[in-house]
Amino acid sequence: MKHALHTRREFLRTSLLGGAISWTIPAFLERTFFTLDAMAADSAIQTATGKDGPILIVLQLAGGNDGLNTLVPFGDDAYFRARPTLAIPGGKTLRLTDHLGLHPKLVGLKSLHDEGHLAIVQGVGYPNPNRSHFRSTEIWHTASDSSVTEKYGWMGRYFDSCCKGEDPSIGVSIGSQPPQAFAAPEPRGISFSRPEQFRFDLKNASDRNAADDFFRSVNDFESGQMDGGSIGMLPGHADGEGDALDFLQRTSLDAVMSSDKVAEIIKRTRPGASYPSNRLADSLNLVARLIGGGMPTRVYYVAQGGYDTHSNQTGAHERLMAELDSSLSAFCADLKSQGNFDRVLLMSFSEFGRRVQENASGGTDHGAAAPLFVLGGKVRPGIYGAPPSLTQLHDGDIIHNIDFRSVYATVLSKWLNAPVEPVLKRSFPLLSFV
Amino acid sequence: MLTQLPAGDWTLEAAAHLLNRAAFGGSPEEIQRLHSMGHAAAVRRLLNAGEDEDLFPAPEIEPMKVQGPRNDSMTPEELAERRKIMNAQARERTLEARLWWIQRMASKSYPAREKCVLFWHGHWATSIQKVNDPFFVLQQNQTLRAHAFGLFAPFAKEMSKDPAMIRYLDLNSSKVGHPNENFAREFMELFTLGEGHYSEEDIQEAARAFTGYRINPKTGGFFFSRKNHDAGAKKIFGKSGAFDGDATVDLIISQPECAEFLSAKIWNFYVGEKPASPMNQVLASEYRASGLKTGDFLERIFLSREFYSPKYRRRQIKSPVQWLIQTCKNLERPMPDPKTVHNSLDQLGQVLFAPPNVKGWDGGRAWISSSSLLLRYNLAGTLVRGGSDAAPDMEKILPEGTPPPQACELLAWRLFQAPMNPTLREKTLHLLEKNGNSQAGRRDIVHLLMSTPEFQLT
Repeated sequence: MKHALHTRREFLRTSLLGGAISWTIPAFLERTFFTLDAMAADSAIQTATGKDGPILIVLQLAGGNDGLNTLVPFGDDAYFRARPTLAIPGGKTLRLTDHLGLHPKLVGLKSLHDEGHLAIVQGVGYPNPNRSHFRSTEIWHTASDSSVTEKYGWMGRYFDSCCKGEDPSIGVSIGSQPPQAFAAPEPRGISFSRPEQFRFDLKNASDRNAADDFFRSVNDFESGQMDGGSIGMLPGHADGEGDALDFLQRTSLDAVMSSDKVAEIIKRTRPGASYPSNRLADSLNLVARLIGGGMPTRVYYVAQGGYDTHSNQTGAHERLMAELDSSLSAFCADLKSQGNFDRVLLMSFSEFGRRVQENASGGTDHGAAAPLFVLGGKVRPGIYGAPPSLTQLHDGDIIHNIDFRSVYATVLSKWLNAPVEPVLKRSFPLLSFV
Repeated sequence: MLTQLPAGDWTLEAAAHLLNRAAFGGSPEEIQRLHSMGHAAAVRRLLNAGEDEDLFPAPEIEPMKVQGPRNDSMTPEELAERRKIMNAQARERTLEARLWWIQRMASKSYPAREKCVLFWHGHWATSIQKVNDPFFVLQQNQTLRAHAFGLFAPFAKEMSKDPAMIRYLDLNSSKVGHPNENFAREFMELFTLGEGHYSEEDIQEAARAFTGYRINPKTGGFFFSRKNHDAGAKKIFGKSGAFDGDATVDLIISQPECAEFLSAKIWNFYVGEKPASPMNQVLASEYRASGLKTGDFLERIFLSREFYSPKYRRRQIKSPVQWLIQTCKNLERPMPDPKTVHNSLDQLGQVLFAPPNVKGWDGGRAWISSSSLLLRYNLAGTLVRGGSDAAPDMEKILPEGTPPPQACELLAWRLFQAPMNPTLREKTLHLLEKNGNSQAGRRDIVHLLMSTPEFQLT
């Protein structure tokens, strides 16, 4: 299958361009089809190998990360009053300014900051914050107002409005299920946590070669089956757009092609840095290989869990910060060695920060606004947003100064070069971290 | 009105279509049996099959609150520990309730009622994620079952008082002076009329009528709190009166749009396509003529010529639940182990008792992505090869020595209940000739035929 894409192009040139087509082209081939005349052979290959174009990585710190102990406002007495046992003294933090320091375990992020590749946006949240993990995650994923239940995700709407006809692996999520952020009327994007899951599995077949041939011939139009002649022969098939079988055939072809591509890349690439051993590092390692291998993906989604620190927070949070830091450091080193660091922008978020006042169990409860990280070769470094007040609170929670959709709008508009309103439904003030 | 299917059109294919859509499909033998009853008797048999309650007693689950009463003198550590234990219990019991229902859907010989319960679960979508107590979702499931084929009016009233619903749509905090509009809004928008067929004032006034609906913390049942109820005069759909919740339900469902909205949704679930306007009018008048009695309406549909129209056959994308149960029935194998069942449905995107939101599952194409499709293909392999002792009997599915052309017919009928398209048939013939002599080879072929776009349709 190594030359599959090439062969398909040949096929497109010779058959589809030449004659009338009676069926719908696979979604991601539409663009190729319509622009084929204009496309030089090498530019076609460039698109296929994805060696251009910006890449966004969204990292969710699931469970509600304690923003105050991540970006520590040691210059604020209110912080120490609210956190008699959890506060990190200024001397222990990795100082960024006279008021702010990073959690002591975030040494790699501190280096990225010092070399000018890290931006921090503080006080990010949304009006009428919801303290349910489930609901607040949904709000972040769908970019909706907190009073509105929206089922489609902001990335899904981005794929829909800006990436029509592109490869189905336009979005890749590392995990067993696509995140709600990818949800769209006709879902796109692929998700898997291990590459071998995203693969038609024939290891238990008795005759693997024959089985593989058969599978490809009925799920892949190279065989000629999908040349329009036999489609429609199935009883009950009605012609026309919107036919369920046609949709399934396109999706099946998408699946075969993108899983081939993933498998081929995994076979061909090696990690370009030494990663620690934890799930986040595994996910980022996989993402780096897919980027290095030339996946045409624009958005990757990864997550790190465990941030719901209601009790005995100090040790647990330290471990999480260390994991986050070492994984991101390895990832950035990997991208730099590939020469792809300038193409990548990574933004973190958590569904909410935590209550300012620590609780009686040495932990913190669900809160609201929190800082987030943006890093990459082209980031404009610095700390963005006004410092949130720790004395003027709403129900004990930090009031946001920056709507998270301003961060999304900035990423969409200044990084992905996409129009904001079709995705976020209205405009938001842009920030200048890119 | 709908027209009757001519007797001559009651073919084996029609019987298969009925069994697939009204229930969860079956083996060739089961289809044959249904067909031989004759059309009317087959429909009656499906809709009136005796309940084998004794075979499927619901798991005994008590309301979570009753388990370990909260004590004011508890330390934060004790409270955290208690919460942890309760969460673990809730997870375990939810899983138990889920598997019970799946088994129930899979095991009954004519589970048309369970299919209808599945429809209503997606309609009155309520999620354990917010309800947080498996007792309530299981209780709701039994309510859905009791009313599935019955009259809509008493059903809707019961659902407005259903504790899981009360918690899910915030009725429990709705009181006189401070009505919460969530339930009233979703009741009109998603459960009865559809968007655009009511005013904001109708919602605000109806919300007042549903104030005082509470959960009895001891029994986990419904409790009407008179002191929280707004007994004042309301104006709903132009009518004035001191309507209570039940009277409000009656007012809402007497709107003409109610029969249109519900009949279209039911038709879409069973037929796989939203009815166009003229058809929707026909369906609505059928539903009205039945007095909004869903079982009678379904009987009219299943007897109609329209339901069997070629344009609807083999065009519906199987939901994950349908895919799993129908596949097991097609292969005449038991359901896989609980963990496989649970993980499969989770990854395929249909976790029972946890619809994504109050709109329920989108269904149709939303079930399918390149990831979920590959997962279906791989799961098919697991189901064909069986795991431990559950492997399907290949001698039954495709006896050794069956000549390839006949083998093609047998497989097409068992897996698709329709002939294969010529290309698929040709490839299958070829592979049968090559590897059909060994049982493992025949197993491969069954797996491969299930790993196709065609197999995702019913």
